[in-house]
Formats: sequence, C-alpha cells, structure tokens
Amino acid sequence: MIHEKIAAGAVLAALALLPSAAAANPYQAYSGTTLVVSFPNHPHYDAVDRVLPEFTRETGIKVEVDKLQYTKMRDKQLLEMAKPRGDYDLVAYVVFSKTDFVAKDLIEPLAPYFLNPALADPDYDPGDLIDVYVENAGLVGGKKGYLPGPTAGLYGVPFGAETSVLAYRRDIFEKHNLQVPTTYDALLDVACRIPELEPGMGGLASRSQSGHQIIHAWLLHLAPLGGRIFDDHWNPIFNQAPGVQAAETLKQILACGPKGGAGQGFGGMKELFLQGKTAMFLDSTVVSGEVDDPNKSRIVGKVGWALHPTGIRRGSQTGGFGIAIPRNSQNKEAAFLLMQWLTSKAVDKKIALAGGSPNRKSTFADPAMQRQFPHFAVFGEALKYADADWRPLLPVWVGELKGMIGPRLSESIVGDAPIQATLDELARRTRQVMEREGFYTYQ
Amino acid sequence: MRAGYATRLSRIAPYVFMAPAVLIMAGALLWPLAHSVWLSFHEWKLGTPQDAAVFTGLENYRILLGDPDTLTSLRVTLVFAFTVVTLEVALGVGLAILLERPIRGMNALRSIFIMPMMIAPIVVGLLWRYMYNEQFGPLAQLLLLFGVEESPPWLSSPDWALASVIIADVWQWTPFIFILALAALQSVPTSVVEAARMDGAQARQTVFYVKLPLILPVVIVAALLRLIDAFKVLEVIFIMTEGGPGLSTEILSMRIYKTAFEFQQLGRASALSNLLLLLVAAISVGLVLFNKLRERANESG
Repeated sequence: MIHEKIAAGAVLAALALLPSAAAANPYQAYSGTTLVVSFPNHPHYDAVDRVLPEFTRETGIKVEVDKLQYTKMRDKQLLEMAKPRGDYDLVAYVVFSKTDFVAKDLIEPLAPYFLNPALADPDYDPGDLIDVYVENAGLVGGKKGYLPGPTAGLYGVPFGAETSVLAYRRDIFEKHNLQVPTTYDALLDVACRIPELEPGMGGLASRSQSGHQIIHAWLLHLAPLGGRIFDDHWNPIFNQAPGVQAAETLKQILACGPKGGAGQGFGGMKELFLQGKTAMFLDSTVVSGEVDDPNKSRIVGKVGWALHPTGIRRGSQTGGFGIAIPRNSQNKEAAFLLMQWLTSKAVDKKIALAGGSPNRKSTFADPAMQRQFPHFAVFGEALKYADADWRPLLPVWVGELKGMIGPRLSESIVGDAPIQATLDELARRTRQVMEREGFYTYQ
Repeated sequence: MRAGYATRLSRIAPYVFMAPAVLIMAGALLWPLAHSVWLSFHEWKLGTPQDAAVFTGLENYRILLGDPDTLTSLRVTLVFAFTVVTLEVALGVGLAILLERPIRGMNALRSIFIMPMMIAPIVVGLLWRYMYNEQFGPLAQLLLLFGVEESPPWLSSPDWALASVIIADVWQWTPFIFILALAALQSVPTSVVEAARMDGAQARQTVFYVKLPLILPVVIVAALLRLIDAFKVLEVIFIMTEGGPGLSTEILSMRIYKTAFEFQQLGRASALSNLLLLLVAAISVGLVLFNKLRERANESG
C-alpha cells in the first residue's frame, strides 16, 4: 500500500515537471485571473453574455463585464484608458473610435500577440474573418488613415460588426401586392404608400435623434446616393447634390414614418419595427437576432430580407464594434486569449445561434446555419457591397465635427431649416476645423 | 512677560483654529477652480496625458465667443433658466398661499406636493421621456380619450422640445419654492395679519399687501438658489433630449459636457465652464444687490 502511494506520488511529480504538460494548455498560466471587459448594451453583446460562462469553465479565467449604453461607453473608456493603470483588460468600441484610440496610443497593436506561439491559436484562421469588417474595425494607418493599405496595422478584431440590409414585413407586402424596393426611388414610393394602405403603420423606421444618430441615418443614404463627406484632399463636399438629396430622402422617410418616429435613436427605431409599427427597417443586420424572438418581437415569422436599395451606386454600411486591448491593461495576454476565444470559428457560431452577429465567413457559409437563418444568404450578398469608406473614421470626425454637424442637420431634417443653406454653412465651418487640425498643411 | 505671551497666543489662536477649514476650502474649492482657469488656456484632448496639454492663450475663449452654437446655447440657457424660475416661483408661492389654510388632509397633500423634488433627476428625465412618448406615453393616451389622435411632437420637434423640458423642470422643482414659501408664510406673525384684518383688509389684500411683502426676502433667496441650479441643470435634459432636436434644448451645461466628452476638448470645456461661472456669479450678485437695495428702501421708507 505504502509502495503504491509512493509510486503514484512519483508519477504525479514527474507529470508536473514535464514542460509539455504546461504548454498543452495556453490558459493554465492565467487560470484564476479576473478580466474586466467594457462592452456595450447591444443585442450582439447580450448574446455574448450567454456564451461567456463557457470561457470561464474552459480556461479558469473569470470575466467581469461592465456594460454601458454604446454611445456613452466611449467616455468612460477614454477616462479609464488615459490612466497609468487601467481597470479594463478588453474594450469593445464602435468602429469610428479606432483611429481616435490609436492616435492617442490607447490600444495595443495586435501583431506581437499573433506572433507569440504560446498565445496564438494555429487554428484561429484570420483569413476567415470577414475582410471588410477587419478593414473597418481593425485596421489603422492605411489609406486615409482608416482604410486598408500597405501602411496599415491591426489594432482590433471585429466583434459585433454589421452591415446594412432592408428588412420588410413580408405579410404586408404580400397583402398589398407590393414589390420589394431595389432602388431609392422605389423605396420612397413604397415607404409613403404604406401609411395609406395600412392606417396606423409607418413606411420605414429611421434613426433621427439629434447628434450621432441622425448623422448615421443621413450617411446611410449619402453613400448609395453617390456622396462623401470629404474628397481625397479633405475638402468637405457633403453640401453637394448627393448630400442635399440624402437629407431630403431622410426627411421624406420620417414624414412617411411611424407616429412618434422622429427623434428616435437606434433602440427606439428598432423597437418601432419589432412592435409592428412600421413596415420596413433599413439599418444594421443586428436586428435579425431579435425579429424572431417572441419575447422581444411581435413580428415573428413575418420578416423578409433584401439588399440595401441602390441609388447611384450600391453601398451598404459597415459599422458595429471591434474589440481591442488597452495599453494600460494589467492582463494583456489573458485579454488576448479571451479576444481570440470570442472571435474563434466555433464561438462565432455559438454567438450567432444565441442571437449575435457573425464576424466570420465560415459562419455565413455553414449549411446548418443557413438552414436555421435563411437570411444569411442575403447578408452574405450585402457584404459584397459593404462600403468601408461610407463615413470618415477620423478622430476629428468622431469628436468635433460629428458634434457640430449632428444638431444642425437635425434642425434641417426634423425641423424646418433650409437644407442647402445649412449644409453650406456646415461645410464652411468643417473647413475651418480641418484647417485648425492641420489637414491642409500640404495644400 | 507671561501676559505678553498670552496676548500673542490669543491673537494667533483664531487663525490656528481656522487654518484647517481654510486649507480644506482652498483644497476643495480654490484648487479645482484655479486648475480650471489654467486648463482654459490650454488645448488638452480627452484621453491624452496632461503633459500633452499645449498652451494656447486665449484661443479657447476666442473660438467659443465666435462659435454660433455656443451663442445659441447661451440663449437657450437664459430662456430656460428665467422661464422655469418665474413659473416655479409663481406656482410655488401660489400653492403655498392656498395650502397654508388649516384644511382636513392638508398634511397629506403637502407631503404629496413635495414628492417630485425627492426623485433623482435621472429618474425624472426617464419618467417624462416616457410621459411624452408619442406612441405609448400616458399623455398621448390621455389626449386620445379627448379625441386628439395626433399627439404633439413633445420632444421630437425643435418648436416643442424646450417647452417640454421646462414643464418637467417646473414639475420637479415647484415644490422647492412651495416648501420654503409655506415655511415663510407660517412664520408671519399672526398679530400683523390680525391687525390688517381689523383695519378692514380683505383676504386678497392681506395676501398681496401683508403676507407677500413679508415673505419676499425668503422667496428671493429661494429663486436665487433655483436660478443657480437652473443654469447648471444637466441630467433631466441629458436623458430627455441630449440637447436636441438641433440645439433647441442645448443649455450651457449640456454644451460643456459635449465639448469635454464628445468634442474631447477639455481646455475649451473648462473655458466654457468659467464663462458659465461668471454669468451665474453676475446674475447672483445682481439679485443680491437688488434685494439689499429693496431692503434699504423699505427701511428708509
């Protein structure tokens, strides 16, 4: 008996000394660590909540989630990441914050982590991440500073990234024999016929809250209608014909929209569609996780999906979130392991099944997933037309310009201020700000 | 020798005892104020270390004073602050006069009246945002009962939004004026009121010529406190409209918040805070001087 115990003890001691035993589990060194993550209050991250306990079970790494409304999250992140030692180990950010975070040296470049064989999973398959999402959420330093190019580096991984699609009430369209709009003209026509055909129902829900939300809605139409905020030399051009047309389009959409639709943010707009108050929804793909959830939706089984209609060109938005590791995190390696786990092929599918947005080609292409989510076919098609340059992801845009343009745009679209004059004045003031920030140094 | 030491000690003693309070005041009040003034002469972007701040002299003030949005915000602030204080004083004093009388159940009524004041401003903002919801809100349902199918665009129209947030503020803070005015009315000596009645004064005359003049100093102080608060209000507007639509409800405190966190210009936000401080100080000093002059006139009259 004593001999058996001694032999068993010797075997255990020998196993503990074997280097391969430790190397086989990349998580072992970090077991017991607690990671603090900053996530938005958003349908994708609600789905992540349901999957996260698996990470702790598999790795022994605990995760505390600090959730905030997504437009307010950035304020706290900036204050936290500016400290010498921060509380956050992983942050989710709206893609427009990526250049701001990098310019202020607040987040880690990811190459050193993907180069570290003790951390990087050889089966991670970065080529399977959706290209335009990586460009939009992760790359900084390329063309224009925020687009891909030989000088770009990776600072974040898309997680909860989105494109735009048209969701429509199949039952209403069939009842009135309406064609699903493929062009902007047809979209406006149908949007304004619906309130006549279905009293009490609006045509199309849209964001229109003053500030970020109304700018988002305007840009959503500006790119397909052929416009841009700046030309290639940072001259503001949003006051040209496409900018005016995009504002007029948005104004008409609101006029034919649901009662109480004006002034809504993303959440309010989504709610109007989910509660059956509007026949169409043209915005982020993330709504698909909720339309068939009977706890959240009154339109279960009634929704069809189509591509973002064409104006002068076809162009769906690219937005949503990426995740990055703050420079001042105290647990960077463990945070990378969580980032890698969350964006792995297997977990991407699990999050999609829980109602989140896929970030990998393999999830969209999986036949089992396509059977369960037939709209994936449309979403995959929409990604072919996703436009990474539909809005300028510059720090000055995210800060001063968006704050200046948003309220004035709201006065023209929700109020009665003349559109052309407002856009002209905003273009002039935008030029002053860009000049102050040094954008015309080479001119 | 001993007597001289004692005299010196008694001369120093008050300063020694006052020193901790003065130091704490200087640390808690003057240091942040001085830092804010220092910051207002620098460009410092949120999320960068403080040593990245660049001295720019009066540039922040120049930008602010030449910015049409700041001037719009100043106008909105003045309209908001003076309208809410006028309405709150009129309603609060009026209610206090009505509820001063000994009627059955009055104590319960008084308790109900002061409840809004005890609710956190964030909750007040959420409550009124729900009240104003054009689809599901109680006001829309109430209007429907009266046959009004189209609810006014309470918060979604630049023409309505400021009035809507003014209503919310008046709802919350009228009780503050009410409770102070009521206390002041109850401290009016009954002999003065009795004397007025014996001289043949009617109830209305007693109110306007006896009670109101006597409680006026308290009402002025209460109005001043509300005015200072109204210039600084943020939470209710932040929750209800975030300053929109357009700039229709963007009062200066909201603009300071946006300048710091949205525009990320901490120096410019400090400059705007300092301008707001000067504005509130000027108005407060003006009101205090007015009160003193009035008192002096009464004394000499």
